[in-house]
Amino acid sequence: MRRASISTLFVAVLLGFASAQNVTYQQDPNWKAPAAAAARANPLADKPEAVGGGKKLFERNCVECHGADGTGLIKKHAADLHLPTVQQQTDGVLFWKVTNGNPDRGMPSFSRLPDLQRWQLILYLRTLGESAPVDSQARSR
Amino acid sequence: MRRSYCLFILLFLNLACLVSGAQESPYFVTYDHHLEEPGNLEIATASTTGAPRSDQKWFFAPYLELEYGVTARWTSEVYLEGQTTSGDSAIFTGFRFENRFRPLKREHWINPVLYFEYEHVNEGSRIVKEVVGNAPDFSESNSELSKSWNNELEGKLILSSNVHNWNIAENFIVEKNVSQDEGVEFGYSFGVSRPLARMASATQCHLCRENFIAGMELYGGLGSTNGFGFHDTAHYVAPTISWQLGDSSSLFFSPAIGLTHQSSAALLRFGYSYEVRGFGTKVAQMFGGKH
Repeated sequence: MRRASISTLFVAVLLGFASAQNVTYQQDPNWKAPAAAAARANPLADKPEAVGGGKKLFERNCVECHGADGTGLIKKHAADLHLPTVQQQTDGVLFWKVTNGNPDRGMPSFSRLPDLQRWQLILYLRTLGESAPVDSQARSR
Repeated sequence: MRRSYCLFILLFLNLACLVSGAQESPYFVTYDHHLEEPGNLEIATASTTGAPRSDQKWFFAPYLELEYGVTARWTSEVYLEGQTTSGDSAIFTGFRFENRFRPLKREHWINPVLYFEYEHVNEGSRIVKEVVGNAPDFSESNSELSKSWNNELEGKLILSSNVHNWNIAENFIVEKNVSQDEGVEFGYSFGVSRPLARMASATQCHLCRENFIAGMELYGGLGSTNGFGFHDTAHYVAPTISWQLGDSSSLFFSPAIGLTHQSSAALLRFGYSYEVRGFGTKVAQMFGGKH
């Protein structure tokens, strides 16, 4: 009986963590920001202290699909935010993508957040690029 | 048996670990274009308390709302509602099933949302989720009102814009009671709102401005095909505020003031919502699906 309970516990915990890093992520080629949006600069670029708020917003709005470490969950088809394919995009493109979402791929729009909060999120996304996990670094080579 | 309990508790804890919430619109009546995030379930409870004019009675109408994000462009909701009137009884007043669809993929200056609702409610319904047609007659007792059940179909055209951190939303309402020959009824609702802070602080806080959204709503009836216009209709203006209590829950408050003699003198609205993230995924896992 005790062994059965332990097995049940193990399975349930596995279910909770079944959201592995998304090594299979492929960018949607149709999800493209207009040139004007792509050229926008982050107004908070010279305010690194704002990144703390961005982290809080990330934890509140993004971790369910992108994971607490930003590596993306396979079952959600969510991007690994450490990948160069994400980090090489301009701040303007990332802001446009957060604002508009990609409903056909399950990415909701976050236009309900004030614009500066969305820019704070972009600030935080950039810190993920600086601290890429080992797996992501390996894949980017 | 113990094993089933154990599994249930663990799954519940799993769900509890995933609860989280986005900043909620403060509106009680008006809809904007922001839908529920896909796979999330929002559980909300709210109430409408009506302060009477001289010929009316106090009433208290609570309701439960379950809102689920089916996809990023489709949200479904179910409402269960009741009502109690001072000096009278408490009754169940029915249920509503509504769906909202966003036809356009991207953000635009004006973002349309199409809304369809089926209501099975009796004449005692007082939650005032929308105001349509002419002002209702509440002089009858609950026992009489609860005998008359109606099947109603409702459609809304929701137009919503985000302009410099302000949300501006307009709802145009058409409702048809298919159980009675009342013609087609019309109503409207407008809302504006704005977060009290544009940036988020790095620390977790409860009373900081970023957790509040304040706004104003204006809603009322526009008669029916039997008589279109403002004659004998109810209208309300309502300041409203939402307070994000934490990552998972929000409180809402709105005191509405009746603008015509056919309106209640005032409506006091309170609401609380709790969002369960990844609900769809968890349920799918429980039943062996991959979602």
